[in-house]
Amino acid sequence: METMLIDCVQNSLRHLLYRNAIFMCERLCAEFPSETNSQLLAACYLQDNKAYSAYHILKGTQQPESRYLFAMACFQMDLLNEAETALCPASEPSAEVPNGAAGHYLIGLIYRYTDRRRSAVHHFKQALSVDPLFWAAYEELCVLGAAEEGNAIFGESASLYVQKLYSGHAVVSQSMLSSTENKISVSVRNLSPHDPSPRQVKNMHSNTLKDNSGSYHGTALSVGASGQFINGSSANMTFYSTPSPMTAQISAVAPPPIYRNMQANGPHPSLLGNDGSSRSTINTTMQAPRRKFVDEGKLRKISGKLFDSGPRRSTRLAGESGPNTGSSTASSTGNGTSHSSKYPGASKLGSVASRSATFRKGQARGSESTDEGVQQENYDDSHPSITTSSTSSLACDTKSLEEGILMTTGGIIMSESQAITGASDLITLLAILGEGYRLLCMYSCQDALDVYRRLPHKHYNTGWVLSQVGKAHFELVNYLEADHAFSQARLISPYSLEGMDVYSTVLFHLKEDMKLSYLAQELVSTDRLAPQAWCAMGNCYSLQKDHETALKNFQRAVQLNPRFVYAHTLCGHEYVALEDFGNGLKSYLSALRVDERHYNAWYGLGMIFLRQEKFAFAEHHFRKAFHINSRSSVIMSYLGTALHTLKRSDEALLMIEKAISADKKNPLPLYQKANILTSMERFVGALEVLEELKDYAPRESSVYALMGKIYKRCNMHDKAMLHFGLALDLKPSATDVATIKAAIEKLHVPDELEDTL
Amino acid sequence: MATESSEGDEESKIVVGNQQLVVEESLREMAKQAAWSVSSCKPGNGVLSLRDDNLESFWQSDGAQPHLVNIQFQKKVKLQLVVLYVDYKLDESYTPSKIAIRAGDGFHNLKEIKSVELVKPTGWVYISLSGNDPREAFVNTFMLQIAVLSNHLNGRDTHVRQIKVYGPRPNPIPHQPFQFTSREFITYSTVR
Repeated sequence: METMLIDCVQNSLRHLLYRNAIFMCERLCAEFPSETNSQLLAACYLQDNKAYSAYHILKGTQQPESRYLFAMACFQMDLLNEAETALCPASEPSAEVPNGAAGHYLIGLIYRYTDRRRSAVHHFKQALSVDPLFWAAYEELCVLGAAEEGNAIFGESASLYVQKLYSGHAVVSQSMLSSTENKISVSVRNLSPHDPSPRQVKNMHSNTLKDNSGSYHGTALSVGASGQFINGSSANMTFYSTPSPMTAQISAVAPPPIYRNMQANGPHPSLLGNDGSSRSTINTTMQAPRRKFVDEGKLRKISGKLFDSGPRRSTRLAGESGPNTGSSTASSTGNGTSHSSKYPGASKLGSVASRSATFRKGQARGSESTDEGVQQENYDDSHPSITTSSTSSLACDTKSLEEGILMTTGGIIMSESQAITGASDLITLLAILGEGYRLLCMYSCQDALDVYRRLPHKHYNTGWVLSQVGKAHFELVNYLEADHAFSQARLISPYSLEGMDVYSTVLFHLKEDMKLSYLAQELVSTDRLAPQAWCAMGNCYSLQKDHETALKNFQRAVQLNPRFVYAHTLCGHEYVALEDFGNGLKSYLSALRVDERHYNAWYGLGMIFLRQEKFAFAEHHFRKAFHINSRSSVIMSYLGTALHTLKRSDEALLMIEKAISADKKNPLPLYQKANILTSMERFVGALEVLEELKDYAPRESSVYALMGKIYKRCNMHDKAMLHFGLALDLKPSATDVATIKAAIEKLHVPDELEDTL
Repeated sequence: MATESSEGDEESKIVVGNQQLVVEESLREMAKQAAWSVSSCKPGNGVLSLRDDNLESFWQSDGAQPHLVNIQFQKKVKLQLVVLYVDYKLDESYTPSKIAIRAGDGFHNLKEIKSVELVKPTGWVYISLSGNDPREAFVNTFMLQIAVLSNHLNGRDTHVRQIKVYGPRPNPIPHQPFQFTSREFITYSTVR
C-alpha cells in the first residue's frame, strides 16, 4: 500500500495536481510514518507554494534531504537564520552540505543576503565545481563580482564532465536494469564513483566507504574526479555505445571488477527496463548519475521529464534571488548534482522517489517525472544524495538550449559521440553566455556586446539575451539601441518581465511617455505581482513629474520583493525629487544592502550629499560608484564636480577629461568643464568649450547663459547681452529666466557687488 | 496635475475664476512641507478642509475680520503662485471679496506683497506673487499669510474651499548655475 500511495503522490505531482498529492501524501504519512514520507509531503507543499507547511513538517529533522527541504522552506519564508542552521548545523561544522550543488547554492544565497560575501562566493564556487552546468551559481558569482572567466568555468573539464554524465548515466542505467540485481547493485555502486560528478564521487566515497566496499573502490576513488571520469567514461562509453555493447571492453582502467561485473551481467538492451524501450529512453535523458542504486533490480526510471513543477518554483526563487530564469544549465547536467535550489521540489521528489524505489520496480513510467532518476535507495539517507533529477534541474527556461539537447537525446539512447558533441556544444554555449554576463556585471559593456554577438542566431534572438544586450546598451548610454534591443526582446517573449525595469528607465531617459505608459500597462496586466511592472509604472509617473504617485508605485515594487535592488534605488530617486533626503538616504542604503555593486545607489547617495553640500561624502560615494562602473561618463563628470567643490580642481579637470574621452556624445562633462574653468577664471578655455557645446546642442539655453555670464565677467557687455538674449529666447526655466534677467539689468554693475549667479 | 501653462490676470481685480486648475509644469506645489493654521474656524470646517483636495469641504471662519490663513515653512522657500478655490454661487455672502497676501519671517514682520479684489468668482483664482521686476519673479520667504479682509455682501465669516501654493522646481542637478533645457543635455545629465 505504501508503494501505491507513493506512486499516486508522484503521479499527481507530475501532473501538477497539488491538492490530490497533498491529500494522498497525508494519508501516506499517517499510514507509514517515516522521514522519507514526510519529505515527500513537504515536497508537495513546497511545490504548491506553501512553504510554511513544509517548515512545520520538517522542523527538527536531521536527514540531509530533509534539512535541505527545510532550509528551502525557511529561505522562502525569509527565516534565513534557521535555514542556515539547517544546512550547516553549528554542532557539526564539518558536516556535508546536503544536496551538493543545490545545497551549496542555497547556502550561498543565504550568506549573500546576510552580508557574508566571502562565504557566499566560496559556496557558489563549490556549487559550480560540483556541477559545472549550474548557471544560477555562476550568475550569483557575477553579481557579487567574483566570477572567473566564462571560459574557465565552462571549459574543458566541464565538457568532459557532462559527457561522462551522459554516458555514465546510460551505462548505469543499463546496469541497473540488469537482472542480476545484486551484482548490479554492487557494480552500480562501484560504478557510481566513476560517475562524473565529483559530488557523486564524494557520495559514493562516503557511501562506499561506509558500505565498506572495499578495495577496488579505494582505487577508483582515490583517483581524482577527472581521472575517474576519464576512466569511467571510457569504460562507460564502451559499454554504452549501442544496444549490444556488452563486449568485454572493460577498459583496463578503473575498477575492472565493476565492469567485469557488468559484463557478466551482460546488460542487454533487452534488459533495459522491464518497461522496455521507454525506460531506456528515460534513462538516457536522465543522465543523472544515480547516486544510489536501486536495490534489487529496481529500475530507475529516469524521468524523461525535463520540466516538472520544479520550474515554477525555480522561477519564483529566481525572482527572489534575482538570477534569470532562463538558463537552466543546471538542468542539463542533471548529474546528480542536485542542482539549483530552483528545483527543490524536484530534487526532493527525487530522493523520495529513491526511497520508494522499491515500488518502482515494474513501473514503467516512460515519462516518469523527475525525481525518479534519483532513486537511491538503499543508501542511507545521511548522504546528500540527491536527486538530481536531472530533469528537474532543468530549468524551465526560455532557452531552447537544453530542450534541444535533451530532446534529441530523449528517447534515444545517447551514443557516445552524441554525448561528446552535445556536451561540448552545451559547454561552449554556456561559456559564451557566462562570459557575456560576467562582462556586463563588470560593466565592460562593449566587450559584453561583442561576446554576445558570437552567439548563434537562434540563441541571440531570445528574450534573455536580447534584454542583456539592451542592458549593455543602456549602461553605455546608447538609449536608442537599447530601446531597439528591448523592444525586440518584448516581441519574442512578451510574457517575460526580466529586464523590463531597465527598459522602462531607457524609455524614461528618451522621454517617450507613450511607449512607457504602454509598456507599464502591459507589464502590470501580465503580472501584477512582479516588481518590474510596478517599477515601469512608477517611471511613467515620474516622467510626468508626479513624484508622489511614482514613489507609491516604487514602494509597491519594494513590498513585492524586498530583494529587488532597482526598486529601492528608484524609491530613493523619487524621495530626492521630493526633497526628502532622509528617506532618500534610507532607500539608497537599503538598495546597497541587497547588492553592494549597484552603482546607481552609490551615485544617488553622492547626489544627496552634493545637494547637502557635504562634499567630502559626495566625493567618496561618487568614487565608489566609479570603482564599480569605471566607464560611465556621467559618474566621472559628477566625480569631477565633487572634486572641484573640494577645491581639488586639477584632479577634477583630469577626471572630466576622462569623462569626455569616455563618451564623446555626452555634453555634460564638457559643460562641467566649462563651469570649473569659469570658476578658476580661465575664461578663454571655458569659452572654447562652450563654443564646442554650442555646435553640439544649439538649443540649449544654459550654454548661452553661461557664455553670457563669462562675457559679463570679462566686461564684454555687448556679447554678454547678446548671449543672455539668446538664452532667454530658448525658454529656460523660470528660475533661470529670473537670474538671466537680473543679470541683464545689472550688466553694468561689477560682479563683486552681486552674489554669484 | 500640471499641464499646459495658463496665465492668471495680473490686475488687482479678478472677475472670474477658472474651472480648471492649470499650472505651469515648471511649478510645483510647495505647501506640503508647511505648517498651516487659521485664525478661527467653525468645528467641522477647519484648516484640513483647505488641503484635502476636496472641493465640497470648505473652511469656515468664526471670528472677527480679517480672517487669516498662515502658512509657515521650515526654511526660506521661493514662492510664485497662490491659487484659491472660491465659489460665489454656492457661498454668496461667505465668498471673500478683498484678499491681501503678506510675507515675512514670522508673525512679527509680515509685509503685504499683494492685494486683490474679487468680484463674484466661481472656481480657481490665481494670484501671482511676482513683482513687475523680472528679478522679483519669486518671493523668498519663511511665511505666507493670506488675509481675507472683507466678503461679498458684507458677510462676516468666509468660506474658502481649497488653497494651493506653488513655487519653482529646484535644479535637478545640484551646483549647476543653470538648468538644462535641451533633450541632449537632459538625457545625459543623470543616472537613474
